[in-house]
Amino acid sequence: MEFDFNSLFAFIIFGVTIGVVYGMVALGISLIYSGLDIVHFAHGEIYMFGAFFGLVLAKDMSIPYPAALIGAMILAGLMGMLIERVFYRRLTRSGGGYTVAGMGMIICGFGMSVALMNVAFLIWGADAEPFSIDLGMPLQIADIYIPQSYLLTAVVSFALMGLLHFFLKYTKIGLAVRAVAQNKDIAYLMGINVPVFISLIFGLACALAAAAGVLIGPMQSVQVEMGYLMLMKAFAAAVVGGFGSLPGALLGGILVGIFENLGAAYISPSHKDIYAFLLLILVLMIRPSGLFGIEAKVKA
Amino acid sequence: MKKGNKIISIFVLAGMILSAASALAGEIRIGITMRMVSENGQKYGQMVMDEIDLINQAGGINGNQIKATLMNDECKSDKGVANANKLIFQNKIHLLIGSTCSSVSLPIVDVTAKAEVPQIIPHSTNGKITQKGSAWVFRVPVSGRYYAGVNAKYVGENIGMKIAYICAADAASQNDCDAMQKQMRMQHGAEPVYVAQVQEKEVDFRTHMQKIKSAGVDGIMVAALAETMARALVQSYEAGIGPDVRRIGSSSASNAPVPKIAGDAVKGVFYAAAYSDADTRPVARLFNEMVRKRYGIHAPDHDFSQAYDLIRIVEIALNNAKVSLTSSSLKADRAAIRDAIAGIRNYQGLASGPISFCSDPSPVCRDGNKTPVLIAYTKGGEQYETEILARVTMPIDFGL
Repeated sequence: MEFDFNSLFAFIIFGVTIGVVYGMVALGISLIYSGLDIVHFAHGEIYMFGAFFGLVLAKDMSIPYPAALIGAMILAGLMGMLIERVFYRRLTRSGGGYTVAGMGMIICGFGMSVALMNVAFLIWGADAEPFSIDLGMPLQIADIYIPQSYLLTAVVSFALMGLLHFFLKYTKIGLAVRAVAQNKDIAYLMGINVPVFISLIFGLACALAAAAGVLIGPMQSVQVEMGYLMLMKAFAAAVVGGFGSLPGALLGGILVGIFENLGAAYISPSHKDIYAFLLLILVLMIRPSGLFGIEAKVKA
Repeated sequence: MKKGNKIISIFVLAGMILSAASALAGEIRIGITMRMVSENGQKYGQMVMDEIDLINQAGGINGNQIKATLMNDECKSDKGVANANKLIFQNKIHLLIGSTCSSVSLPIVDVTAKAEVPQIIPHSTNGKITQKGSAWVFRVPVSGRYYAGVNAKYVGENIGMKIAYICAADAASQNDCDAMQKQMRMQHGAEPVYVAQVQEKEVDFRTHMQKIKSAGVDGIMVAALAETMARALVQSYEAGIGPDVRRIGSSSASNAPVPKIAGDAVKGVFYAAAYSDADTRPVARLFNEMVRKRYGIHAPDHDFSQAYDLIRIVEIALNNAKVSLTSSSLKADRAAIRDAIAGIRNYQGLASGPISFCSDPSPVCRDGNKTPVLIAYTKGGEQYETEILARVTMPIDFGL
C-alpha cells in the first residue's frame, strides 16, 4: 500500500480512540492494584456488565445515552462495591501481593470472571446486541471519516480521567484514597475508615470499566464474551504504563492503541492483536517497571 | 466365595447384562451435537428435537422409537469431539447428527470414520469435510465450493475485479474466503486487491477499512461468523466506504444476527446460501409460518431449513434401512443406516435444489445439495427482508 499522511492520521485517530478505552479499563486495574494490592482478573467482566447496563438503560428503558452512561457507571460501581464487600474482603484483609491470600485473590478473581460471565449469559444470552446511537453524520477531515462515536469516546474518556485526577489530587476524600493506597495501616491510624475507602476504590474502578463498556458499545456491539480481549489489552496498557501508575495506565492505553493500529496498517493486518503484546515485551525489556512505574515497589 | 454365591453372582450379572441389552434394543439412538449458544442455535436444536418427537408420536420408524440425545458443542472443536465420543461409545448411537460449525465437524469426521458411525451434517460448509474421503459422512448443506463459484460469477459479471477480502479465522470462513479467491482467479483472472486474516471474534476493523478505502475497490468480501460480519459491515460505512462498493457475505450472512446488528449497513449485501425466506414456493411459505409461530423467529435462515431437511432425510433413510436394533447388531445397523442415507436420491425439500447422495466416499457423492441461491438484503434490522437474485445448480464436480 502506498504511504499517505491521510491514512496515517486516520490510523493514529483510531489508535487513540480505542487506546483511551484500554486506558480507562487499565486505570481501574491500576486503581485496584494500588488500593487493594491485588490484580483483578474479573475486570473484563465488569466492563462487559457495564456495557450491558448501558444498553439496557438506553435501549430498553429509552434513557438518553449520556444518562445511560452515568447510570451504568453508578450500577457497575455499586456492583463492584458489593463484590468487594461480599467476596473479596476476607481475602484482602489477610493481605494481597505475594502472600498466600494474595494468590487466593488471583484465583478468586478468575473464578469471579467465570461466574460473572455465566450470570451475564443467563440474563442476556450469547447473542451480540447492537448498541446503536444516533450522533449524526461522521466528521470528515480531508479523505478521512471520523464517526461522532469515536470523538465522543475520546472526549468522555479524557473528561472522566481528568475528573478522577481532580478528585484524587484536590479533594479530601481523594487524599484519603491515596493514603489508603500508600499505606493502609498508617491511613487507619490517621482515622480513615480503610474498609470503606477500599470499597470506594473498587467501586470507582468498576465505574470506569463500565464507562469504557458503554463507550465501546456503539462501536463494536455488546456481548458476554467482550471482556476477555479487553482485559488482555488493558493489562498490556497497565504494564506498559507502569502497574499502579494512574497516568501511566492512560498513556499505556493510548500507546497500545496506536501501536496495534500502526502495526496492522504497515506490518501485517492479520496479526493486529499481537502488537499490543509485542509493545509490552519491548517496554519490559527496556524498562521492566513500565514507563511510569516505580523501580522497586514494595507493597504494604 | 462359596459355590452357591458364585452361581447367584453369575445370574445377577447375566440379568444385569440382559436388562441393559433389552433397554438398548428396539430403539434407534441418534446423537446430535450442535452449536446452541445463540438464541437461533438453541431454537433450531429445539426444532430438531421437536421434529423427532413428532416422528415418535406418529408411531416412530417401522414401529421403533427414536431416542435422541442433544448436546451443545458451543462451536468448539474439543467439546464437539468429546460429545461425539460420548455419544458413540457411551450412548452407543446408531447415527450422529452434527455439527453446526465446520471447525467442529472436521475433527468429528475422523472420530465417526474410525468408529464406523454414520454422520450427517446439517450446516457446515467447509469443503474438506467431504474431501477427507470418509465413507461415513454426508453433508446436507451446500458445500463452500459451490457458494464460491456462484459468488465469483456474479461478482465478475456485475461488480468488478478489484475485490478486498476480510477473512475470519474460523474454518468455514477461511474456506469461503480461499474458495472465492480461487474462483475469482479461475473465472476472471482477478487477483485479490487486499486480504486480511482476522480473529474469529474480531471487533475492530477500522484499520482494514481505511486501507480498503484507499485501495479503491469494487467490492469487499467479508467471510466471518454472523456477529463478526455485522461489525465489519457497520465499520465499513463508518470508514466512509459508500454503498457503490458492494459487500459480499459468506454463507453465514444468512444468519439473523447479521441484519439485526448491522442494521441499515446490511442493505445491498449479497451472499450465497441454501435457503431464502423470500422463497415463494408454498412449502417454503408454510415452513416460514411454522417457524415463526413455533419459535418466534421473524424469518428462518438456511440453518433452520437445513436442520429441517436433514430430519426429513434421516426419517426416509431410517424407514429404508434394514436394521435389527439388538445389542449385537449395532455395527450392522450403523452400516445399514449409512447405506440407506447413501441411497437418498433427489430429495425435494426446503433446500434450493434437490439433495442426492451415493455410496462413493467422495465429495461428488457426499455433498448433497448442489444448488446455491444468491440472496441480497433489501432491509436491515430485526424485521429484515431479502430478495433472491439467482438460483444456480452447479456441476457435481465443480471446484474439486
